[in-house]
Amino acid sequence: MKKRVLLVGGRRKARSLALSLLKRGYQVTAVNSDRDDCRKLAELEKLNVICGDGTKPFVLEDAGAEGQDIAIALTPKDADNLVICELCKKRFHIRRTVALVSDPQKTAFFRKMGIDRVVCAISAITGIIEQQAFLEQMENVIPVGEGRVNVLEVAVPVNSPAAGKTLVELDLPREVIVGCVLRDDAVMIPWGDTAIWANDLLVLIVASGKESEAISALVGKGACGL
Amino acid sequence: MKEKIADNTIIVGCGRLGAELAGALSDAGRSVLILDKEEVAFRKLPLSFGGLAVAGDGGDLDVLRQAGIEQADTLIAVTNDDNVNILIAQTARELFHIPHIIARLYDPERECVYRELGIATICPTQLSAREIDKLLSLPREAIA
Repeated sequence: MKKRVLLVGGRRKARSLALSLLKRGYQVTAVNSDRDDCRKLAELEKLNVICGDGTKPFVLEDAGAEGQDIAIALTPKDADNLVICELCKKRFHIRRTVALVSDPQKTAFFRKMGIDRVVCAISAITGIIEQQAFLEQMENVIPVGEGRVNVLEVAVPVNSPAAGKTLVELDLPREVIVGCVLRDDAVMIPWGDTAIWANDLLVLIVASGKESEAISALVGKGACGL
Repeated sequence: MKEKIADNTIIVGCGRLGAELAGALSDAGRSVLILDKEEVAFRKLPLSFGGLAVAGDGGDLDVLRQAGIEQADTLIAVTNDDNVNILIAQTARELFHIPHIIARLYDPERECVYRELGIATICPTQLSAREIDKLLSLPREAIA
C-alpha cells in the first residue's frame, strides 16, 4: 500500500515537499488555514487539500489523520507545530511525527514531548552557510543524526601533506573516519594500511565540529580559513 | 491558622483574565510576576497590583528563566492562543518541573494533548455552559 503523508501548514515548504513526495509515489494530504495557500496547493495534481486550522482536532479528522503514516508540521509557529504533532500522535495514532521548529532552544523539548523528528531550520541553515562559506574544500556535506555527524567529500590536492601516506600515518582526529576512497573509477573501502594519493576523493564521516581538523590534515594547514 | 500559600506565581498573558487574576493574587499576598509580549497590555492591571510586570515572549525559554521560573511554585498560562498556552504549560512541566500549572483553553477538544501531563485546564466555554445550565434549572422567578 502507498505510504500516506500528512503535511500541516507551510506555504512554499508544503508545496515543494508535496511535489517531491507525490513524485516518489506517496499519497499526500495538505492542511492549510489560508485560503489562498490552499488554492495554490490545489494546483498540484493528486494532492488532497483541506482548508482549516490544523491545530484543531476536527480539521485533522477531516484530513483523514487516523490512517496516515507520517505527519509533518510546517507552520511558522512553534506552539502550533507542537500541538499538531501531539494531536497526531496521541489522538490519531500516527506513528511518525516530524516538526519544524524555529527556536533552536526548543529542539530537545520537542523530542522530549514525543515528536519523532525535530527539524530546526535556523540551525540547519546556519550550519550549511558556515560550511559553504568557510570550508571550500568540502564538495558535498550531508548532515546525519540531527546534524551531530556529517558525511562529506574531500578532494586530496597534489600538494597535500597526506598524499602518499597510509591512513594510520595520518594525523586524523579520532572522530573522523575515512569511509571510502574514490580513485579514478575504483571505489575502495580503506584499511589502516591503505595509502592516500593525490587527486583521491575521500568520503569522510565526521563528528560535527571536527571538519576543519580533518580537512587540514588531508588538504593542508590553513586551508580552511577557520 | 493561616493557610500556607505558594509564594511565587508566574502569569503568562496579561489579557482581561490575566490582569484580573494578577490583581486578585497579589491582593491575597502572593508574589506575582506577569508576562506579556506587549507592554501596553499592563495598562489593564489594577492600580493595587503589587507584583512585577515584565514584557517578553512567554514561549521563549530565556524569558521564562529571566522571570525566575526555576523558583516558581505556580504557573498560569492565559494568553489568547491555546497552542501557546499548551506549549508554555508543557515546558513548565517538563523542563522546569513547576508543581502547579493551570492553562486556559478556549477549545476543550485539545485537552487530550496534556491530560496525562497533570496540567489543570480551564475552559471558558464549558464553564459558561455549565453556569447557563444551572440557571436554566432554577425556577423562573429565581432568575429575575
